[in-house]
This record gives sequence, structure tokens and C-alpha cells, in this order.
Amino acid sequence: MPDRRPGRSRIVMLCFAFLVFLCSAYAVAGDLEPFKAVPVPEENPQTPEKIELGKKLFFDRRLSGDGTMNCATCHDPEQAFTDGLEISLSYPTTRNWRNSPTLMNVAFQKHLFYDGRARNLEEQALFPMMSAFEMNRNLDFVEEVIRSVPEYVDAFQKVFGGEVTRERMAMAIAAFERTLVSRDTPLDRYLKGDQKALSEEAMKGLALFRGKARCTECHYGVSLSDDMFHALNVPEDPEHQRDPRIAATRRFVAKVYHFDEYRTLAEDPGRYLITKDKKDWKAFRTPTLLEISRTAPYMHNGIFPTLEEVIEFFDKGGGQGNSALKPLGLSAREKQYLKTFLVEALTGEPVVIEYPRLP
Amino acid sequence: MAAGPTVKKIMDTYKGKIRLVIKNYPYIYRDYSHLAAEASLAARDQGKYWEMHDLLLKRSPKLDRASLIGYAKELGLDVKRFSDSIDNEMHAQEIERDKKLATDMDLYQTPTFFINGLKLVGDRPFDSFKKVIDEELKNARP
Repeated sequence: MPDRRPGRSRIVMLCFAFLVFLCSAYAVAGDLEPFKAVPVPEENPQTPEKIELGKKLFFDRRLSGDGTMNCATCHDPEQAFTDGLEISLSYPTTRNWRNSPTLMNVAFQKHLFYDGRARNLEEQALFPMMSAFEMNRNLDFVEEVIRSVPEYVDAFQKVFGGEVTRERMAMAIAAFERTLVSRDTPLDRYLKGDQKALSEEAMKGLALFRGKARCTECHYGVSLSDDMFHALNVPEDPEHQRDPRIAATRRFVAKVYHFDEYRTLAEDPGRYLITKDKKDWKAFRTPTLLEISRTAPYMHNGIFPTLEEVIEFFDKGGGQGNSALKPLGLSAREKQYLKTFLVEALTGEPVVIEYPRLP
Repeated sequence: MAAGPTVKKIMDTYKGKIRLVIKNYPYIYRDYSHLAAEASLAARDQGKYWEMHDLLLKRSPKLDRASLIGYAKELGLDVKRFSDSIDNEMHAQEIERDKKLATDMDLYQTPTFFINGLKLVGDRPFDSFKKVIDEELKNARP
């Protein structure tokens, strides 16, 4: 009988092949990529007219129940499309419970919201409009409100060849949001071959980002995010836990997502609310790091006002009891290099928005 | 929102260096918001604006006429003068002027702050203000 056991050299070869495979898999997972065209769904192609219509809707306060809020209330172009607050602004008399994420580079996301409850921008756009603690607008009603404006009726006819619907409103807003991308960041220039794009200190930060600080395990690709969910056990803010208005919001969302103990829920369950999978308890989507210097405060509840505090959090291995992170052991100087990289390399030219004339 | 304590801390920290101007912006869809603005200005006439301001936030949403008069008593105000002021909407013109200013500036959120023209929306921690004020003071002419 032929000996079927692999010979020593074959074992070495197999091990070597396996190692190469592992290395290449890791390299793909952790690669930084230069900017490329934003992905656009086939069913919602970009046109200049659609983008302009979406921009008008984005800034139109008719989309909120009391006419005081538009999308830009929480995604202010002058604050890198955030509102700069720990937790986002909210419908009058209520309080939101999570931080307003930037819309910069949102086109690259495969999941929207910190808990990933929407799969694309078209789906996402309607959530805040109908949310009781955000824009608080009934969607059947808002369709009629927009239909009562002749200029909008004409624009929808021109762009979509049909009447105003909530889905088309969302499609137009999504088209506008896909134009909000970071241009010309030093990292992008560096990845395209400009060896002088980063300062010496930022280069040291990049080496840490890819190496000892292990950032590229989750922050990679064009938008520096794996688009996955991780339970880092970010601490709760005691002030938020005490506020009865935030408790009402938390319980309301939990109730809507059929969380059995919503009445006694005292913390943010994160992705778990959507999947009901134990591993997703307090897991949140990895955010983009592009424009990070402009999007403080940080984390889903805005608990860290500065990048220094975020770096400290990761350096000590994340929040209590988490199993996703390990302590990094960075020196004070290494933390400084990392911060320099985050601030210097990931900040692009500011996006200048010409405010539309609303009908 | 209850930004009062932060504002007071700012005024204490930068005593003599900054000036505070408050504009009224009662929320259109709250029953007693306009009346509460009248009450705070009626209290201002008797030198107790901040005392009334704090009480209104503490007792909100109990801001009906009877409650407001109760608060005036509690603060030791001349109740007749206070009641006449809110019943006759003595400060309506000032409040309307403030509201028009806000809508002309496309402002809809309360509180909204302007520090030398720089806009900060929402109730923010003291340090957010400190950063801006320190920078402005640094750039101010001696």
C-alpha cells in the first residue's frame, strides 16, 4: 500500500502555504486603500438633478413634525456633518440617546446607524424622519406636505418621472449624501504614492496604526472601517442614565425592537436590539476614522471629548469585561504619534456646501 | 434645556471679560412657553430674572398661570405687579422681536449660543464654551 502520510517536505510546504494564506487574508483585512469612486446602487443612479433635489430635502424643515428640524440640524455641514454634541439634538421636549455620526464617507457604509439597523442610505433616510425623538414626522403626512409644494412636484416628475413618494424622497437624500466624501487627505495622497504626504511624526503614527496599536484590525479599506460590530464595553454616561427623557427614548426604541425587558432597560444594548444575538450585546458599528479630528465627541454616546481619551481607552484594552480588545502598552510618545496621524493624515479638504434655495 | 448652570459658571469664570445677552425663544407648540417667557421678564423687572429662570426650569412643565403666580410669591416678588405684567403681556413686543430675530437668522433650536458670531447649538459642557471663549479673548484687542 502506498504511504499516504505526507512527507516532511510536504508538511513544511503545507504549513508554508497555510501561513501565506493567513498572511494574505490578514493583509486583505487590514489594508488601507486610497479613495475610489463611491458605490452607487443600480436602482438609484446619481444624477445632478436628483442630488440637487436631495440637497433641498436635506435642508428642508418641512421634514420634521414641528417644522424646526431638518437633516442638517444633527448633521451640520459646518461641523463635519455632526452636531458636535455628546448625544444628538432631538425633537423638542425629548432627548436623543446616541451621538450623531458624521455623514462624511457614509456612502461606503454597508450598515447604517450605530446598531446597523438599515442596510443602505435609502432605507436609513426615513428612520429619523419618523422617529418620535428625532424629526417626529408622520410619513404619510410628509408625502402630502411635499406634494403640496408645486416646485417639488415638478422636481420629482423630472428626476423620477413620477409623483412624490417617501421612497423617492429617501432616494434623493441618499444621492446627496453620496456626494459627501473626504477629498485629498494626506493619507490618500500617501497611498497613491506621494511619499512626502505625511510628516515624520504622522509616519510613525501610521506604523503604529498598522502595527502595535492594532487599529487596522478593524479600521481599514477606503473609509477605515470593517463595517462590523464590536462590543468594546464603552462606559455608560451616568448623566445619561439618570435623565428620565433618555430613559424614555431607550425604552421606546427597545420596545419597538421587541426587547422583552424594555421597561427596566438601563443601558444601551447596541446591535443586540436588532439581532437578539448574545455576542452583539453592547456591540456597535466600527465608525470611519476619516475626518476624525472634526467629529468630537467620540463613541456611540459621545463619552470621550478628545482623541487623547479615545487612545487611552484602547491602550488600556477597552471597557471593563470586554473580550474584543487587549491592552496595547503604548508609550506617551507613541500615543502622541498616533494622535498626530489621526489628525493630520485623515483630515481632507473641508466640504463646502452651497445652501439651496428652498421652495 | 437647562443650560443655566453652565451659563452662570461661564459668567463667574470670565467676570468682567464677557457680556451676556439673552433672547427669548418660546417654543411654539408648548402651551405655556410664551407665558413663561412673560413671567421671566416680569421677574426681571423686579430684579429676579435668574431666580425665576431657574424655578421655571425646575418646575417645568407646571407653567400655567396659577403656578407662575405661586413662583412669584415664592421668590418674594410684588405679586400684583407680576400678575398684571403677565396678564397684560407687557413684554409681548420684546418676545416677538426676539422670535423674529431667531427665524430671520434661521435658528430653530434652543438653546443656541453666539460667541462673537460663532454659533454653538444645544446644551454643551462648560469646556466647549471655554475653548471658544479663551480663543476669542486671546484674539481680542487689549
